[in-house]
Amino acid sequence: MGHFHHVGMSMGMSSGDDNSTMAPSHHHPTSSASHSHSHMMMMMPMTFYFGFKNVELLFSGLVINTAGEMAGAFVAVFLLAMFYEGLKIAREGLLRKSQVSIRYNSMPVPGPNGTILMETHKTVGQQMLSFPHLLQTVLHIIQVVISYFLMLIFMTYNGYLCIAVAAGAGMGYFLFSWKKAVVVDITEHCH
Amino acid sequence: MAMHFIFSDEVVLLFDFWSVHSPAGVALSVLVILLLAVLYEGIKVGKARLLHQALTSLSISTSQQLIEETDQHSTSSDSPHVSRTRLRWFLCHFGQSLLHVAQVVIGYFMMLAVMSYNTWIFFGVVLGSGVGYYLAYPLLSMT
Repeated sequence: MGHFHHVGMSMGMSSGDDNSTMAPSHHHPTSSASHSHSHMMMMMPMTFYFGFKNVELLFSGLVINTAGEMAGAFVAVFLLAMFYEGLKIAREGLLRKSQVSIRYNSMPVPGPNGTILMETHKTVGQQMLSFPHLLQTVLHIIQVVISYFLMLIFMTYNGYLCIAVAAGAGMGYFLFSWKKAVVVDITEHCH
Repeated sequence: MAMHFIFSDEVVLLFDFWSVHSPAGVALSVLVILLLAVLYEGIKVGKARLLHQALTSLSISTSQQLIEETDQHSTSSDSPHVSRTRLRWFLCHFGQSLLHVAQVVIGYFMMLAVMSYNTWIFFGVVLGSGVGYYLAYPLLSMT
């Protein structure tokens, strides 16, 4: 960590000399922002870069230093983004399936001539303590956590990892929504 | 990096070359971000409409297939129908996936732009989302 302070370059910059032009542009904004912590703003890159040296990924022990590790991280992030899309579509399907159970309540209401009519109310939804709703809640928590992880990964501004997020999301949408569209086609006509 | 919103004449957004140091530059950046936010809302509506169009057109063609099958009692004559429908569905779905990738990327770009903590840029994102929603969502219910 020592060499970060004396040069004032962010950790992603050490990878290539194409990023060395960034150093002058980073110094100007600090004077206008009236901050004395000029070394603190250099810890996080604020523009996109391509590199694999000393890339911190989400957790303190997870640092990428070689091309091989970056390739592994690319695959892992790709699969995480694919899993996120699949989870979204799985939750939609589960919600639709659990809402097929419709509750009918019949209530007597006074009619026009003093007669009593039976009015039927239809409610579609899940009860709070039912298993499908608890499952949806757990899946929702997992979905929120993964979406924040993907946001934080994109926030590393590393070009390879950002491409992995975008490509994983696209591939996941393509694979899982394909099946979903076929299912939706059939069920929509039945309703 | 400042961790609070500031009004500033200088901002660096997303890429190395996008660094502006003047009010005119910031105004131009705000305009670009605004258009990006409008595009984002438009893509959301576009994806839903594409899916709706694909489902209606392909359900029509599959029901036509079924009618032809029951009439002719042969599968050899409608195999070009099946492969054409499958190919159309594949292309349509591939197009939707590309739109989805664009939506994800633009969404993240907007998040990173707000992360610059420049208040003008933030206004641009918010205004762009509003204008985009206003222009695009009526097109959703149009058929």
